Amino acid sequence: MRRFGHAEVAELLGAYALDALEVDEARQVASHLADCPSCAAEVTQHREVAGLLAAGWLPAPDGVWEQIAEALEENPPPVPDVLALAPARRRRGVWARVATVAAVVAALVIGALGTRVFDDQRRLDDLAVALAGEELTRAANAAANHPDAVPVALRSADGSVEADAYLLPDGTGFLVSDTLAALDPAETYQLWAVVGTAKISLGVLGPDPGVSAFRVVGDVSALAITEEEAGGVVVSQRAPTVVGAVVPA
Amino acid sequence: MIDPLKDASDAALVLAIGRYREDALAEAYRRHAGAAFALARRLLAERQLAEEVLQEVFLRLWHHPDRFDPDRGTLRAYLLAQVHGRAVDLLRSETARRRREEREARMTAESAVDLEREVMDLTMAEGVREVMAGLPLDERRAIELAYFGGHSYRQVAVMLATPEGTIKSRIRSGLRRMRDGLVEAGIAAP
Repeated sequence: MRRFGHAEVAELLGAYALDALEVDEARQVASHLADCPSCAAEVTQHREVAGLLAAGWLPAPDGVWEQIAEALEENPPPVPDVLALAPARRRRGVWARVATVAAVVAALVIGALGTRVFDDQRRLDDLAVALAGEELTRAANAAANHPDAVPVALRSADGSVEADAYLLPDGTGFLVSDTLAALDPAETYQLWAVVGTAKISLGVLGPDPGVSAFRVVGDVSALAITEEEAGGVVVSQRAPTVVGAVVPA
Repeated sequence: MIDPLKDASDAALVLAIGRYREDALAEAYRRHAGAAFALARRLLAERQLAEEVLQEVFLRLWHHPDRFDPDRGTLRAYLLAQVHGRAVDLLRSETARRRREEREARMTAESAVDLEREVMDLTMAEGVREVMAGLPLDERRAIELAYFGGHSYRQVAVMLATPEGTIKSRIRSGLRRMRDGLVEAGIAAP
């Protein structure tokens, strides 16, 4: 099948939005949309209209939600497992300060930590991008004022760089900082949690983070942020930029 | 709770779903399952299939919440698009059903049944109905056969004995005209 040009794709956008293209045509349009914001925006508009045309309402059928809930139980959230991520020898050295901070906090429980930390991280990174802006800021503000939130003050060794995190009882966390210097686009900040003797990546924050959301599982004794190459790393070899002990309320 | 789910925006709900909050998915289901099921039933003759589509779409939201971009439309439209796409897949996968639906759709087109009755039970029904009433009949027929009949524009062209290029243009121009009217009526966001 020959490739469509922009004009040909544009003519198909209405039919595409209504799922009225043949499979090959739909595939071509979908490919085009990935690189054409104006066509993607038009499809979004068409689908909003279709959603209104579809206006109608029926009581949700009995039993369907129960089936959905049952399926969720069969596929529980991934639990991160970082025990295999970092060789023991790498846990010393650059992380000594983190370990020191952690040591003064509490006795640590080495949790069972999961193998899908990066799937989980990607899921949260994608969400953070999708919900960037006011929504995220509002959620972070709400977390900061939550009566059960655990605040974590992350500071650099000389105290010049600050970031504040707020951990909620459900495992959600928010990081707020306006003093982390913007990095080169080829670099990124990366957030870590110390759980037991393991350092878990909580997410890649980008080169100029303002407000970020993350999720953490287990008994966290400290949070830290490192500067890494864009994309982040599995095991950090670098000294943390800021570190903060987690002191349960 | 500082942010009760029942008062949360759809975007906040999806964020909570991303944190594996089952109660957030339940709230999204409470809000949108009725509309989603109505659309699925409209397209699929079998109630069982419609229920399966409903279940599949909400499980997909649970597993891939990041695919919903709040900057590019509402959660309702996103879910309905998912329902529609899946329902059309099912329709097209069953030849016998396909032929029956085509016969029914042809009858619908020939009797010029309009779309208005589909929206009477919504709060915005009156406004949507008025905007739809202003749509040229040719465009309304093409949209109806494609969207509610689950037909490809090529099939619609055969049913209406109209060139394919004309049909795809009518669908697009009809949707644009609808949007303009809905925006003007304050029903859709500009």
